[in-house]
Amino acid sequence: MEKALIAFAAALAVGLPAIATAYAQAKIGSAGAGTVAEKPETAGTMIILEAIPETMVILGFVVAIMLILRFA
Amino acid sequence: MIQKMVRFFIWGVASRKRAVIDLLHTMGVLHADDEDRDYGETLSDLKRLKFLSATVQGMVEVLEWRSWDEVSEERLQWAHQWISSFDEEILGDLEESLEAFRERLQGLVQEKKSLQETLRILRSSHRDVTHFSSFFEEEQKRGNRVSLWWVPAGIYGRILQEVRVVLRKFTPVKERVSLRYHSVKTGHDDLLVSFSIPPLAQNSLEKLFEEENVVAWRPPPAFTKFTHHESVAAIESGLHWVPKRLQEIEEELERTKKNWGPKLGAVLMLIEDRVEALQMENRALSQGEMFSLFGWIPQDQAKAVEDGLRENFGSQIFVEWRKPLGGELLQVPTSLKNPKIFDPFHLFLKLLSLPPYTGIDPTIMIGIFFPLFSGCMVGDAGYGLLIGGIGFFLYRSKKSEILRMVGMIFFHLAFWSILWGFAYGEFFGDVGLRLFNIHPLWLERSHVVLPVMVFSIILGLAHVGLGLILGVFEGLRHKNRHLWMERLGMLGIIIGLLLLGAGLYEILPPHAGIAVLVSGLVCVIFGGGLGGMIETLSAIGNILSYVRIAAIGLSSAILAMVASTFVDVLGASVFGLLLAVLLHLLNIVLAFAGSGLHAARLHYVEFLGKFYSGQGRPYVPFAKRRSASWKKH
Repeated sequence: MEKALIAFAAALAVGLPAIATAYAQAKIGSAGAGTVAEKPETAGTMIILEAIPETMVILGFVVAIMLILRFA
Repeated sequence: MIQKMVRFFIWGVASRKRAVIDLLHTMGVLHADDEDRDYGETLSDLKRLKFLSATVQGMVEVLEWRSWDEVSEERLQWAHQWISSFDEEILGDLEESLEAFRERLQGLVQEKKSLQETLRILRSSHRDVTHFSSFFEEEQKRGNRVSLWWVPAGIYGRILQEVRVVLRKFTPVKERVSLRYHSVKTGHDDLLVSFSIPPLAQNSLEKLFEEENVVAWRPPPAFTKFTHHESVAAIESGLHWVPKRLQEIEEELERTKKNWGPKLGAVLMLIEDRVEALQMENRALSQGEMFSLFGWIPQDQAKAVEDGLRENFGSQIFVEWRKPLGGELLQVPTSLKNPKIFDPFHLFLKLLSLPPYTGIDPTIMIGIFFPLFSGCMVGDAGYGLLIGGIGFFLYRSKKSEILRMVGMIFFHLAFWSILWGFAYGEFFGDVGLRLFNIHPLWLERSHVVLPVMVFSIILGLAHVGLGLILGVFEGLRHKNRHLWMERLGMLGIIIGLLLLGAGLYEILPPHAGIAVLVSGLVCVIFGGGLGGMIETLSAIGNILSYVRIAAIGLSSAILAMVASTFVDVLGASVFGLLLAVLLHLLNIVLAFAGSGLHAARLHYVEFLGKFYSGQGRPYVPFAKRRSASWKKH
């Protein structure tokens, strides 16, 4: 039971930031697509901007790993 | 590195102005001051040349010629011989020849367009009439008159009723037959309908359709003959000769493109060169019998330019150069020059504006850290070899200089991926261990996660710390107290926190950490106030953000291991091997794209933000255009 709870906690630690990241990337992506259509030279900047919210899920992933390593 | 520039002054006798400017144009190093000048006496020449340039550009566009690489030195020499100078007589001849050529080209293109339109109409008409051919033949044999009409779909039913009424009027009761017609839907709104009626009823039918605004079908004007059959024959003949003529025109245009494209390209370059030279002549200030021209030249080329000018013009000119003065520093253009091995990394600055002349060029630092971080994320010797292969393929590409530079960046990435691959003992996941007994030189990251995470945060500390040190340096150099105090304070707080951590483990006395932390806080508050405090928190977040190096690397390593597991589960069968190869391919793409993107982001967001300011003016030397540079304009 305890292991299941740890696994569930780790899944939440990754899953919730993943949803937040997906939401942010969707917003940035649609705005970025519009910007690139107007100004193709901004494509590189838009790709970088698209990667910015990934910090959330990466930190969530780290937290999940820490949970598993510490408690499992 | 930002090249050192010098302020270059030229004074000379007015009669040699054009020759001096021509020599500077050939040397191609002077960045003249951007000053709006009245084009004065050469205004009409400039207008004529610009008009000529637009004409040639138009012809190049019409020919759809884009092979600028074909404009060789020989072609330019040919153009130079043809247009030896831009005096009145040659300019007039050139305008005349180009106009004649333009007219001929325009004629061909117009004819091509018109024939394409005719062919489209003919095909549509032919499709319509052939659909009704058998109906026409059959009804004409019966002695009826057959005609074709465009009937709007909305009134189709009513029209049929009205035609039946007309038909009844002209046929005796005993001989009355049902209305014979045939229809086809040609679009959403119209039907093409063929009606067969006795010849006597034709006038009434036409009158009815005139009242109802129903239009008769007609062949294209040039193919309208006396009878329907003759018109069909004319359309069929047109379908035979129009494509033939179109092909002839296309072949002629292709020949013209092949023969004249590179020549027109060379002429265009020559005209544009002349336009630029004329504009430069106007920038040179004329004062009676003298002229003067000022600009910027890279310091290492100043002596050569001075010697070249003196050798050619002797005492007719006076040249002087000096280092930029304090007040001029904002006006100095920025030119980046880095060791060849790091030069491709200046592509990363394309997303930002250039650093100012007094700023810092981060190209070398990006060249060191970008492949180091990316390689750490990929961390597989096998993947590294593949990336190196792609890099070699791109490097050998002759299509574009940018591709060659990207190929060079791939080499760097491949080198570090292989190195990290041996550190982690990965060669296509654990294939290296299974087949070649490759053991990790450092640790196996898929099993020992924590040390890699700590290591990536240490990398972040070093990288962000370097950015902050450069920020302090920039602040001191520009006497910007806010900048250097804030950056120094941030550095102090980060070091203070580290020392406090060491104090907790009793490695160092805690007082040292507290002292550095408090000093850092004071500096941040004096330098940046509340905003500085928020910046400090964000800098700590920036350092933690480097943990992505470990996280992305770990996901890549686990995917590679899963690929090998397919072979374990399914055996060394074709299916098992295929799945393993496909998963490795997916992993390579993910690792490669993810590592590049995240390493770039770590530079743009976490590193450059600490010191970089991009307000530089690009160094644009007054140089003759050649094929490679022409395409960028």
